[in-house]
Amino acid sequence: MPQGIKVCVLVSVTFLLSCNGAIGGGERAANDGVAKSLCVVDTPIRRLTRFEYNRTVRDLLGDTSNPADVLPPEEEVAGFNNQAAALTSSDLLIEQYMKVAEDVSARAVGNIAALVPDCNPTLDGEDTCGLSFIEDFGKRAFRRPLSQSERDRFKSVFDWAVNDADLGRFEDGIQVVLEAMLQSPSFLYRPELGEETPVEGDVVPFTSWEMATKLSYMLWNSMPDAELFAVAEADELRTKEQIAAQATRMLEDEKARDLIRNFHTQWLLLTHLDSVSKDTGVYPAYDDALRPLWKEEIQTFVEHVILEGDGSLRTLLTADYSFMNEELASFYGTDVLDSVTGPEFRQVQLDPDSRAGFLTSAGLMATHANANQSSPVFRGKFVREQLMCNTLPPPPADLVIEPPELDPNKTTKEQFEEIGANPACAGCHTLMNPIGFIFEHYDGVGQWRDQQNGKDIDATGEVVQTDDIDGIYDGAVELADALAGSTQVQECVSSQWFRFAYNRTVTQEDSCSVEQLNDVFRSSGFNIKGLLVTLTQTNAFLYRRAVELEPNATGGAQ
Amino acid sequence: MKRIKRRAMLKGTLFGGTVAIGLPMLDAMLPRTGAAQTGAAPKRIVFWFTANGTRQDIWSPPGNMDLSGHPLHAAMAPFSNKLIFLDGVDQDVAYDSIGDGHQTGMACVLTNAEILPGTLFCEGNCDAGNEQYVGWGGGQSVDQYIADEIAKDVITKFKSLELGVQVRSSTVWSRMSYSAPDQPVPPREDPNENFTDLFSDIESDPFALQLIQRRRKSVLDAVMEDHAAFQNRLGYDDKQKLDKHLQSIRDLENRLNVTTNFGEACGQPELNLPGGSYEQNDMYPVTGKAQMDMLVMALACDLTRVASLQWSRSVSGVRFNWVPQILDEGHHGLSHYDDGNGSARADLLEINKWYSEQFAYLLGLMDGIQEGDNTLLDNTVVVWVNELGKGNSHTRRDIPFILAGGCQGYFNTGQHIDSAGEPHGKLLVSLTHAMDKPVNTFGVPQYSQGPLSGLT
Repeated sequence: MPQGIKVCVLVSVTFLLSCNGAIGGGERAANDGVAKSLCVVDTPIRRLTRFEYNRTVRDLLGDTSNPADVLPPEEEVAGFNNQAAALTSSDLLIEQYMKVAEDVSARAVGNIAALVPDCNPTLDGEDTCGLSFIEDFGKRAFRRPLSQSERDRFKSVFDWAVNDADLGRFEDGIQVVLEAMLQSPSFLYRPELGEETPVEGDVVPFTSWEMATKLSYMLWNSMPDAELFAVAEADELRTKEQIAAQATRMLEDEKARDLIRNFHTQWLLLTHLDSVSKDTGVYPAYDDALRPLWKEEIQTFVEHVILEGDGSLRTLLTADYSFMNEELASFYGTDVLDSVTGPEFRQVQLDPDSRAGFLTSAGLMATHANANQSSPVFRGKFVREQLMCNTLPPPPADLVIEPPELDPNKTTKEQFEEIGANPACAGCHTLMNPIGFIFEHYDGVGQWRDQQNGKDIDATGEVVQTDDIDGIYDGAVELADALAGSTQVQECVSSQWFRFAYNRTVTQEDSCSVEQLNDVFRSSGFNIKGLLVTLTQTNAFLYRRAVELEPNATGGAQ
Repeated sequence: MKRIKRRAMLKGTLFGGTVAIGLPMLDAMLPRTGAAQTGAAPKRIVFWFTANGTRQDIWSPPGNMDLSGHPLHAAMAPFSNKLIFLDGVDQDVAYDSIGDGHQTGMACVLTNAEILPGTLFCEGNCDAGNEQYVGWGGGQSVDQYIADEIAKDVITKFKSLELGVQVRSSTVWSRMSYSAPDQPVPPREDPNENFTDLFSDIESDPFALQLIQRRRKSVLDAVMEDHAAFQNRLGYDDKQKLDKHLQSIRDLENRLNVTTNFGEACGQPELNLPGGSYEQNDMYPVTGKAQMDMLVMALACDLTRVASLQWSRSVSGVRFNWVPQILDEGHHGLSHYDDGNGSARADLLEINKWYSEQFAYLLGLMDGIQEGDNTLLDNTVVVWVNELGKGNSHTRRDIPFILAGGCQGYFNTGQHIDSAGEPHGKLLVSLTHAMDKPVNTFGVPQYSQGPLSGLT
């Protein structure tokens, strides 16, 4: 680390902007102008998340059973479950790795011909076929060619099984090799150790095999495909152009959907949707069966905008269309301008005066609400934390917090205004509640309302303490438009993708990479796909520092 | 939820669908052929966690320990002579530690150690640009310490067994067990998986079991060699991470061939898990019951001597929809209302009463298993812990600790003790003594000078 300093604090967008001056004096550096020794920050070795494990065995073996779902959940840090520094190991995890490997292997040898496609053990000999399996399959499982000692090691496991009195079949040999490979650190972890020869100082590039793996887990959350393996084999992942070309191709592949869904599930807190529960006395339209539809609507929408649509952040925030089936469309009522029939989701036109992008979707509105009323607090918090990258303090430990009882003579806004006026709460709640008021046309399940308790809805709220969108807004459509044009929001989205894609938080040393991302994002009209390709073009992605075999004096728990 | 696969050869039915038939069935169980209890029954320790504090105002038992009319604990009345209620035991260390009320309460309760600095979990005053972050718990927890010590004497199939009911996330708010500082221990949450992990051996034919063990050993040997070669290429920090992984494999291999010293009551429990996911809120009671059934059977089978059952996590948002009186609001939200809010107080009474009923169910199962002259409960100490004293104030003073079972006469049960502000570290020290693995202090020495007085 430069100067031996290892700072790994989470940095807010504001902080990042202010520290850009330290490098390059505010000059907008394209990556080519950045010295390779700058903005190189190593990612600790990381193990596959359950999501990645599932996608990997799908692509490796055609196993679509999501076998990793039984593993302990990942540690969630900085909003994501794929943060390398936070992923711990435990006895339970290791025990479950063994059992999952056994299950997957047992299923796989059910179709032995698919595992050993070009070799017939009867004709070619079990040894020959065993070895070719170890070599060919091993290269895909470990995402690089095996060393001679690795081949020998797996061959002796194979030999053990085919010579064991109680096992003895060729399939048994293949099965135990599979079990061992699926428990190998070369499968479970993603080592990115780099080349031996530095390009500058102690900065090293990655091998083409490592780069193929970096690309595939970043853009597909899975292993490389045949083409990536082929370019790795040919050592053609050396230049930025080669890497960008692959990234661009990969985003056109179906597997990019996994990335888009995984990211948005976490960024937009869609897992919270699963535990939503509503008071059906207040909301008779609510039914638990709506929850998966709400989630599917958001997922289909973001996937469409990014992969098939214009890909812009503005469209994500302001589009006047969405995706629904009949049941969901009837829940939305007159906000949906098209008529929809049947259980299939299709694109629908929305009333542009009442709905805008994912922000006003029923799923988000219902998640950030109470069981019997909307919650200006939760909605404001969501906008602040997820879209503006503010972190709000939790309530003081000694403060008693009381959501208001329903009052038939007041609107929710009136009630929360009273609470917000309490000086003990005002400090933080002026940051949240007024943003939440802007969403008051959406009730606790996200349905549009013009009135509450006989009074007209007042969806005005004053947004304060932002970088660039302070002001009074009337309704979420207006707010969404402002958010789409906000540099704070744009840079927040870019930093969320940074954390998710690089599996780590932004550090002070990342400033030139962050600046590069923000510059390209801006010049592309805030195109998400473009941002993803740019994530493969930063020093943070392209290089690491040579492996230090001795303890780092300033290291320690991260 | 898929029903547990049952083999036709199953000999006895243990815990059935209802509480009522669980206990009498135990006596009717046939002793398993070829499995005999040898030697004296071992001591066991079980930790039981519930969240968000309790109704401190009504929690204490009456002077005569007659719980039959108690608003919270009436269900525990049959076991009152086997209980110790502890008033006035504080988590002092939580007030020295970084971290918010729930974080410290959770990470300190079994460690008596301060939370580590770190950049993982946000706490307290974390305005933009001025965020305060914390790491994981800063010490080994007492359950893991005792498990490690026992492992020096005897290898059981599991060194310790951590079970959870809808714990879900993995954060400093949701982990109470630590194998070492910075190394949280996750609980097993899926009852189906849990059943297979714990009990599939029992019904396997011995030949097939041996073959499984033999092949696992061959595979793990290769995996360990592979690890060693792999680690040579890594940097120092990464190597530390992989070392832990490799150690877990070694441990797993060491336990492969453990033949369980089946007790008379040992067998596969029968679980009736209705449809739906064990993760859904309304499955909480059913999942909890299955986990309790399996925990008790694991002890009866001597699969482990150290266990825990963690209900949800600190800041638990479980909605107690199955308690009719309770509004559709989560536990944490309810625990935040002012003491003057009668409806919330009534709900909190119901929630904590429900947990007492579950505790009584567990004690009933354990007390129904005869081990020589004692019951399993008598040979065990079950320790009920909570990260807080009370939810709305987040106090970590006067934590509602209950001990159940005498741990083979070590504890003087059937009493209510007011410790008047003693630090909870002393209770942790007492537990090491009870399990014959005594230490002088545990965690922060200042808050654990010797055992807690009055317990023995």
